[in-house]
Amino acid sequence: MRISTSYAFETSLANLQRRQSQLSEAQEQLTSGLRVRKPSDDPAAAAAAERALAAEARATAYMRALNDSRNAMQMTESALGDAGDMMQRARELMVAAGNGSFGDSERQSLAETLRGIRNDMLSVANRGDGAGRYLFGGQGSDVRPLRDAPGGVVYDGAAGQLNAAAGEVTPLSVDGGAVFLFAPDPGSPGGAVSIFDAMDKAITELMMPGRPSTDVALTVTTALSQFGAVQGNLSGWRARAGEALNRADGIESRLSQSKIDAQRDRSAAEDLDMVGAISDFQNKQTGYDAALKTYSMVQRMSLFDYLNP
Amino acid sequence: MGSSPLMSLGVRAMAANYAAMQTTGHNIANANVAGYSRQQAILATSQGQFTGAGFFGRGVDVVGVTRSHNAFLTRESASAQSLAAMDSTRLTQLQRLENIFRTGESGLGYAATELFNAMVDLSSRPTDLATRQVVLARASDMAVRFSEAGITLDQTQDAVTAELKSSAAEVNQLTSSIAVANQRIAALRGSGQPANDVLDERDRLIGQLSQRVQVTRIEADDGTVGLFVAGGQRLVLGGSATELMVVASDVDPSRSALAMREGTAIRRIDDAGLGGGSLAGLMRFQNNDLVQGRNLVGQLAAAVGGAVNAQQLRGMSLQQPIGSAPSQPMFALGPQQALPQRGNARDPGTNLPIGSVNLTITAPAALVASDYDLRESATVPGSWDLRRLSDGLVRQVNGGDVVDGMQIDIANPQPGDRFLLQPVARAANGMQVLLTSPLDIAAASPLLATPGATNSGTAATGDLVVTASPLPFAGSSEQLQFFRLTPPVNGMDYEYVSSLTGTSTPWRTGLPVVGANGFTLQLTGVPGDGDVINIDPTPATSLASNNGNARALLALRDGLIVGGRTLTDSWSQSLADMGVRVQSAGSAASISAAVASQTEQVRSGQDGVNLDEEAARLIQFQQSYQAAAKMLQVAQSLFDTLLQATQ
Repeated sequence: MRISTSYAFETSLANLQRRQSQLSEAQEQLTSGLRVRKPSDDPAAAAAAERALAAEARATAYMRALNDSRNAMQMTESALGDAGDMMQRARELMVAAGNGSFGDSERQSLAETLRGIRNDMLSVANRGDGAGRYLFGGQGSDVRPLRDAPGGVVYDGAAGQLNAAAGEVTPLSVDGGAVFLFAPDPGSPGGAVSIFDAMDKAITELMMPGRPSTDVALTVTTALSQFGAVQGNLSGWRARAGEALNRADGIESRLSQSKIDAQRDRSAAEDLDMVGAISDFQNKQTGYDAALKTYSMVQRMSLFDYLNP
Repeated sequence: MGSSPLMSLGVRAMAANYAAMQTTGHNIANANVAGYSRQQAILATSQGQFTGAGFFGRGVDVVGVTRSHNAFLTRESASAQSLAAMDSTRLTQLQRLENIFRTGESGLGYAATELFNAMVDLSSRPTDLATRQVVLARASDMAVRFSEAGITLDQTQDAVTAELKSSAAEVNQLTSSIAVANQRIAALRGSGQPANDVLDERDRLIGQLSQRVQVTRIEADDGTVGLFVAGGQRLVLGGSATELMVVASDVDPSRSALAMREGTAIRRIDDAGLGGGSLAGLMRFQNNDLVQGRNLVGQLAAAVGGAVNAQQLRGMSLQQPIGSAPSQPMFALGPQQALPQRGNARDPGTNLPIGSVNLTITAPAALVASDYDLRESATVPGSWDLRRLSDGLVRQVNGGDVVDGMQIDIANPQPGDRFLLQPVARAANGMQVLLTSPLDIAAASPLLATPGATNSGTAATGDLVVTASPLPFAGSSEQLQFFRLTPPVNGMDYEYVSSLTGTSTPWRTGLPVVGANGFTLQLTGVPGDGDVINIDPTPATSLASNNGNARALLALRDGLIVGGRTLTDSWSQSLADMGVRVQSAGSAASISAAVASQTEQVRSGQDGVNLDEEAARLIQFQQSYQAAAKMLQVAQSLFDTLLQATQ
């Protein structure tokens, strides 16, 4: 077959250029470490990498939410621990108040101490989480959720709890009403005891002068029974907060696992197999080298070289 | 018999070999000229002179110079190059378009995902202005990426139009050169010899023209060729060329179309008939790939923007007065449009189309990435045929119908009216964030669900998502009371009764509860018989710290909000769609380039110059020339011998 000389030059040049651009493409892949840099490199892998990226971003966001919930629950747990300690001291005070040798003044001083505890309890109940929210704000309260009102402390928050958006139930707040105002009443089934009402009643009665010892004893036993119920309720809620923290650990390990899975999927979809790529690169290099050599050899040959001048 | 016949024989032989060497020299000189066909001097034996002793040869004549030319291969090569030019042009354009469909962190899908992920933090800290500011920043990041994609799409269209125009100008130059070559060939035809170099030049011009637009070539008896495009429209006939023009498309004025100027009339060329050439590649890219790219981006913008806007309107912002300031949509989107077609009846006074179509997006999640052709039904008078251009699905619609998430209202329809509907094509263009203050973000839900205080069961309230704006019973409390169904009816073991409407709805645990006041509610646990759930307006003192709507906004991330798929699924599918387009355009381009290269190899193998061959010919003719010169020498010495003999 005849070969047109100029076409032979053209095709050899075009082949050289093609090999050169393949080589540079392979080099670009090697330096970036990515096999898929644009959808057309591998459409299915690009789509898979995109899904994996979204899954990774979701797990990262969920972990942020989980941390918020964990912080809130840690603070709640410690607030409930404080409240429990206060109730313990209140019970000890009531036991002391039952001492038959105490007179009005001793009881009044105990009542003053109890009042201090009661006020501390209210400030614990209105403790904030540092992020502009109240730990016991329920489904959201923009003002202190528990408030002194005529007739006793009332709850201004909405019942229930706020949850962080971590894909599972991860509380950010606790229902302050249920914690502080509605402990199950041991005296009347279905009834409820408010911490503050119980304390207020005990304080008022202890402050009352000249009461007969039987009345005082009744005050003490009622208060002790109510305080006990309240303390039980507090430790119940404390256990719930602890349980939320435990669950947070489980959720975190699930989230970090799914994050790792997503990273692995993304890498499998779009990262370069270095070993294969290097061998491929060497292949291409050899090919280019051979093309250059043969080009220079073949194109040097011409009949004109052999004609005597 | 004297020496002069020998002399003249030698002279003729020298002349013939010289002519052959001249042709060889011409071949060597033109070896690298594109489109040059190797020439050959045709030598023929002169008729012998009759004598009594027989015929004596009178040497050699140069009959003519022919070019080695295979019309079939030339045509084949031109048409292969036409296809190769079309494929490579489309590939180049698609690679530009692919830049919009970026993967990973710089992509549109990731920007949208990040907006939704910012809702996670908003759910944790709804009162925190910094967190709200981050949401706004993510929203504006996403809007900017979409509007930049819109700008790039417009620029791509502009570049296509500019390239069409410059290609058309090139075509016009080539066709007028071909017309001139036709004239010269016809004029030179009288000489009786082929005008090889002009013929080569014309073939070369036609080859160049074929790279722009595929032509059908018809040879005329006078040596001229007629060139036709798109199934028979005349581009060159004899010595005259028709002007090719770029005009605004009939279908969508933002696109371009090709047309021919015939006298004062302008005749549009059907794109489908273009065949090959870079013009065909550009048209195919413009009318197919670019439209699809635009619609994929637009669908995502319209669906995500629409879903966020709708949910934003259902929530409560922190703007004063808290609890009663209406929420504002988060994004402004580019407009949906309905373009009247050129043939529609026009008002004689204003020259504006009489009939018009108004599109309203009613369900962003149902939008499809497609344009639509709307025309009067041929079979049912007064009804309309709506053809979805992406897949060709035809549906019959009437004015006011809702199809694929858009409501089509038709005003003053005229007979023969036709419209191009673009619900999403321009949605990404000019997308921007409308909210200016972080307080504008509606993170709070207007409704709060709480289980009744005396409930006997374990039912607790989970996520409440408001699904209506405004609420059907704004400001009212609703109580849902649950009753056991024993035995269960159709697998439902409860029913609940709404206090607002009194209607009862069958239910079983796990299903969302749908209230009369425009919400859905998830319950955990099991309600006791007669238990109630109260759904009350969120008190003003709880709005700032409530995160109900932020969670509902986050839920959009995993909801089926883009054409029945999640945001991520839809976007990764768009990526794959565009990737496959570029990939298959790439393999089409490399296949057609290989075919073009092969046909050109065959053609040039036959018609092109091989320098080794020419070197051999050069020696061959040189030797013959030397031999002929020797003949002269012999003739001269014969003459000298004769002269000496007569002295």
